[in-house]
This record gives sequence, C-alpha cells and structure tokens, in this order.
Amino acid sequence: MKESIIEIAHVSFQYKGSANGFLKDISLSVKKGETLLLTGLSGSGKTTIIRLINGLIPHYYPGELAGSISVAGHDIAKTELYELAGLVGTVFQNPRSQFFSVDTDGEIVFGPENIGLDPTEIINRKQTVVREMQIEKLLGRSLFELSGGEKQRIACASVSALLPDIILLDEPSSNLDQGAIENLREEIKRWKEQGKTLVISEHRLWYLKDLADRVIYMDAGSIRQEWSGPEFASMGSETVRQLQLRPLEVPDISPPICEGGCDCADDCKTVSPLPLSDDGFLLKDFYFSYHRKPNLFGKKKLTGQDDMLSLCIPHLVLPKRSVIGVIGKNGTGKSTFLKCVCGLEKDCKGSIEIDGKTYKGKDRRKLCYMVMQDVNHQLFTDSVEAEILLSMKEGSKERCDTILESLSILAYKSMHPMALSGGQKQRVAIASAIAANAKLMLFDEPTSGLDFAHMEKVGALLKNLAASGNTVLVATHDLELIELCCDYVLCIENGKLGYMRKVGSLQ
Amino acid sequence: MRLKLDPRTKLYMLLIVSAIVMMSATTPLLWTIRIVVTVIPLLLLISEKRYASAFRFAALYTVALVLTFRFLSEESTGILKALLTGYSGIVVQFLPALITAWYVVRTTKIGEFMSAMQRMHVPDGIAISLAVVMRFFPTIKEEYASISDAMRMRGIALGGGNAAKMIEYRMIPLLFSCVNIGDELSAAAITRGLGGKGKRTSVEVLRLRAFDWLLIAVFTAAAVVFVVFKYVL
Repeated sequence: MKESIIEIAHVSFQYKGSANGFLKDISLSVKKGETLLLTGLSGSGKTTIIRLINGLIPHYYPGELAGSISVAGHDIAKTELYELAGLVGTVFQNPRSQFFSVDTDGEIVFGPENIGLDPTEIINRKQTVVREMQIEKLLGRSLFELSGGEKQRIACASVSALLPDIILLDEPSSNLDQGAIENLREEIKRWKEQGKTLVISEHRLWYLKDLADRVIYMDAGSIRQEWSGPEFASMGSETVRQLQLRPLEVPDISPPICEGGCDCADDCKTVSPLPLSDDGFLLKDFYFSYHRKPNLFGKKKLTGQDDMLSLCIPHLVLPKRSVIGVIGKNGTGKSTFLKCVCGLEKDCKGSIEIDGKTYKGKDRRKLCYMVMQDVNHQLFTDSVEAEILLSMKEGSKERCDTILESLSILAYKSMHPMALSGGQKQRVAIASAIAANAKLMLFDEPTSGLDFAHMEKVGALLKNLAASGNTVLVATHDLELIELCCDYVLCIENGKLGYMRKVGSLQ
Repeated sequence: MRLKLDPRTKLYMLLIVSAIVMMSATTPLLWTIRIVVTVIPLLLLISEKRYASAFRFAALYTVALVLTFRFLSEESTGILKALLTGYSGIVVQFLPALITAWYVVRTTKIGEFMSAMQRMHVPDGIAISLAVVMRFFPTIKEEYASISDAMRMRGIALGGGNAAKMIEYRMIPLLFSCVNIGDELSAAAITRGLGGKGKRTSVEVLRLRAFDWLLIAVFTAAAVVFVVFKYVL
C-alpha cells in the first residue's frame, strides 16, 4: 500500500454569489503515483475538485468551504498558493488564457523564475524538458502564432519545468485534434512513468482509458460511481451511454484521421469532389494566403498556381440540406476555410453559386452565417430578443418568438445574453442566424469541452437545421459529433481539399 | 541589421520622449529636437523589420507636420481648418510617445522586461502589473479581430449608422472576454508561483552595450537641451 498524497475529507463547497457548481460532502484520497480520471457531465464539480487540490479554492475563488484538504502534508486552507507552486502543477483547458509570457522560452522558465531558482538550474531544467518532450522546434516563437495543440504542449512543458509531484489536468484536450491528443497522451504516459500523481478531469475518454488507474464519475457535486482502470476500460458501450459519457472508442469515420491512408491529393487542381448532382452550393475559386502580404496600393490577386496558399479550393459542391463535417488537424485551414466561405477574408475572391444565383464578395455574408467557437464574440445587445431583431431586416416580433420557440429559448427572451449558459448562448447565435435567413450555416467547433449529453443536443439541433432546409458546415475535432449528425465529411489538409465522402460509407 | 537594446534603455527612451511631448515646442531648435526623438524610434522599428508600422507612423507624422507648418496658422478659420488643427495638433504632440511605446511593447519579451524591472529594484507588484498589461495587448488584438468579424458578418460593423451603437457593440463583448481571459490568466499564473514572497530570479542576462549608452546619451542630451532652451534661456 502506497501512502496517499492527496486527502480530501468531507468537503463541501459553494462558490460565492452562485447557487450552482457546488460540492456536497466529497471524500477522496489519491495515492502517490496514482492516475485518477474524473469524469461526468459539465457542471458536475470536476473542475471544482481540481481547484481544491491546486489551492485556487479557497485562495482565488472565494466561497463557503467546509471539510479539510491536505496535499502532500500541507493543509491547503493554511498554505499560501506560491508554496504549492513547486508541488502541484496544473494544465488548464483553454490554451489561450494560460500563458503569462508572449514567447515560448519565457513561458517555460516562468514558473522556475517565480519560485526563485538559480538561473543555471532553470536553464538546465528547460533543456531537459525540451529534450524529453521534443519541442525544440517550438522554441523562440511567439505564443500567439502557435496552434492550439502546440500551445498545449508548451503548457505541459512549463508545468514540467517546475518538477511537481502532482499534476492536474483540467479538460486538457478540449481544443485539440486527434494528433495533438496523441501527443498529450504520450506526455501523460511519460509523467505516469516518472511516478507523478495525476488527476485528470476530462470528457474525452478514449485516449485515457488505459492510462487511468481509477475512474470517478461525478454527478451534481457528488461522487456517484468509482471504477478501477481495467473495469472502466472494459465497460460496455450501453453503460457508457446511460451515464451520458462520451464513447470509450474513437468512432470510426474511416479514415479516422486524415494522415496517410487517405486519398489526399497533393495537387489541388486534380482533386475531384464527390460526384454529385448540381443541386448544391457550388464553391468556386477559394484561394487565400496568410503569407502573401497585400502591397500598399492594390489588393492581392490569388490564383491556384500560387505556392504560398493557405487555402486552395478551386471547386467544391456542398450538397443542400445536409450536415457536412469539416475535419483536419489543428492549424490546417478549417477555420480559414469557414471564414473565407462566409466572406470574412476580403482577399478571398471565391464565389458561391446556388439556384442559379452567384454570390461574390460581401454578398456571401447574406447567404452564410457563422456561429463562432467563442460565441461571446457575437452577442452584442442587452437582451435575447434585441439580439434576434438585430439580425432581421423587417424586425417582426412574431417571427422572433417563433424562432426562439423552435430552439426552446423563448423563456429567456428578455434576459441579457451574457447571463446565459454556454449552450444557451450558442442557441441565441443560431437563432440570429435563422433570423438573418442564412441558408448556409457554419459552425466552428461547436462542441469543444462539452459533455456527451450536450453534444447530443447540439447534434440534434444541427440535424434539425438541415431538415428545415439549411445546409450546415461544421468544423470539428469531435469525431463523436460527426458520427452523431453528419451526412458528409470533408477533410482539409494543408489548406487543400483532402477528400469528401458520405459518413458511414467506406467508398 | 538587428539591434538588441537593453529594456532599460528602451524604458529610458520612453520616459524622455514622454517628457518632451509634454512640453510644447516653440522655436525651430525645439522642433528639431522633437523630430529627432521621433525619428530614432522609427529607425529602430525599421531595424526590427517592422516596416509596415514604421511606414504608417512616418506617414501620419509627416502629414501632420506639413499641415501644421504649411497650411494652418493662428489666422485659420472655418470648421475644416479647426478640425484639421485639432487633429494635427494631437498627432504632432503625442505621436512620438506612441511610436516609442509601440516599439518598446513590440520588441521586449516579458522575461526581459521583468528582469529589467528587478535590476531597477521596482517592486514585484508594479512590475507584474505592467507585464500583464504588455501581455494583454496581443490578446486584445485577437479578441477585437474576431469581434469585428462577427460584426461584419451581421452587417453591423457601422452600428447601423449609429456611432454610439457602433462603440457599444464592439466594447461589450470585448470587455466580457477580456475580463474572462484576465481571470483565467491570473489563476494560471498564480498556480505557477507568481506573487510569492521569495525573490524572483531571471534567466535573462541584461547588459548595457555601447549602443545602449549612445542612445541614453543622445536622449539625455535632447532632454537637457530642450529644458534649458525652453525654460532657462
């Protein structure tokens, strides 16, 4: 029997000024070197447990705390946060907001500098971490130009550099693609081999199921069930479904990842799209480049022959009334593709033809509407109703009610959009898309960080949108979502069209 | 050629330029000094290969200067001229400080900055706050860009012709997301030991080189001459 390193005894917690996100009489002990996986629905208290262990509760997030937490012999309530820095490391969910530096080198040494280590020791640690993780290529770069997966690797490296015994990961894979998750998995495996104690909160289970020694299922602030690692890994898919967890296996949407094996063509001119009838959105001449700077006077003219293109799609047909999943690695051009389609990149001169009409330039914005990954960016007004009316030319209140009703958010009509939950905000954004009469709706990562129950809801919503005559283009890393709702899957690789095929069919 | 300046030199330049723009230039000599302290950061921007921003700043400044000296005078009348006087007055007066600040922010790494602050014995509390501000500029830029995209998509980039709405639509989402990011950012930084009682160390080795001393001398001289010729003689 190994000694326990984290001891949580009868802890209840309620955030200040909030009724939800509380824990009820949690008792949990984690042994040294154990890998514990926390799972459960969003809002079940997983993140709160992570915050108990790294001391952010009660020191950063105030609230009512009862019970005791001890981590490696420190009573958390009486320990200052900086004393825990060399002991407990945390990798957070959002790669965007866990950086203090602007450059990668500075970020890795940031923690060791804070705890006042000798500079030569810091340099040594940095070199060790960089070598172990093989991230030499990422050094000397600006963090703002890295992809989500690369940012998360730097986050792991900067936690590693503090050599903590305990490492906490709070939904680390939310914004990552398949390949980046493999890297993360390798990193977790290495930490495990080094004997670190790991506590991981996660919705995506497939990459962790054979790494976890113990799995805890949380529900409404309590520990509902507990399994040993092997027990959990061998659980039937029915049970997993009943618990509303994401599947333990990566859904097979052959090929699962667009890497080798698939018929990605190198030359963008020779790609032939799915042989389809002309009944669809015909996308023509979508070229875009981040590298070609516009000159001072004229706009750049891009052609398919340019070798510096970030996006090169000369011809593509999107079938009407269908949900089309757009997949591809982090930073491969999925978001760029969506932005170009809906006319947000001025330099992309592509045209969209539908029903005999051609939409070019700004006109594309009348046809398309994008629901962004961070919906907070597209809610502007002070009530849900005003938000919808803003999208309508005629401003009919009855129509607004009908739309809200159809998305079951009519009850929130007079609320401030920012006061709603993430899922509700997303619905408000969808409602304004419907109000704007968009025929082609684009979604950028609508399910990142969502549990399976919410993902199913989003999937059903997308299907409904397609059934009511819209065409939905959804960029996602969640293969579970593609299995749930997509009719077609479109793979983009290095800005080029890899392949497009029907989901479920192997041809 | 890329000159790597010590962050202390950069901060000193910023201090001097800010002081000089606060005093109004009245004689040709004073104007010359002002122009010199504006051109130096412009050249430094060019040495960092930031041609686009250097060009924009230079154009803006030159236009404002030409307007001030060639077309506007105390006798100017009319609304257009009044507006132009206001515009070019502000640009000529404050742009030098803005250019220098831009140069400092864009070319200083957070690690260097923290190290410089320590060497100057600035309390950690102040140094960290300033570092967070520097860290936040690119974030604000990213957030702002995606909010602008969202506005263009909905066709409300101009607020439907209403200036107040135009600002409201931009600022509300921007403030919300900056507050959220700031909150997560501090939580992440605290778990990595920021704000501890122990003395912070730094891997950045700072050294004032010949070119640093040269710039410090030039800027000191500029400040001294400016003050002496304006207030003493």
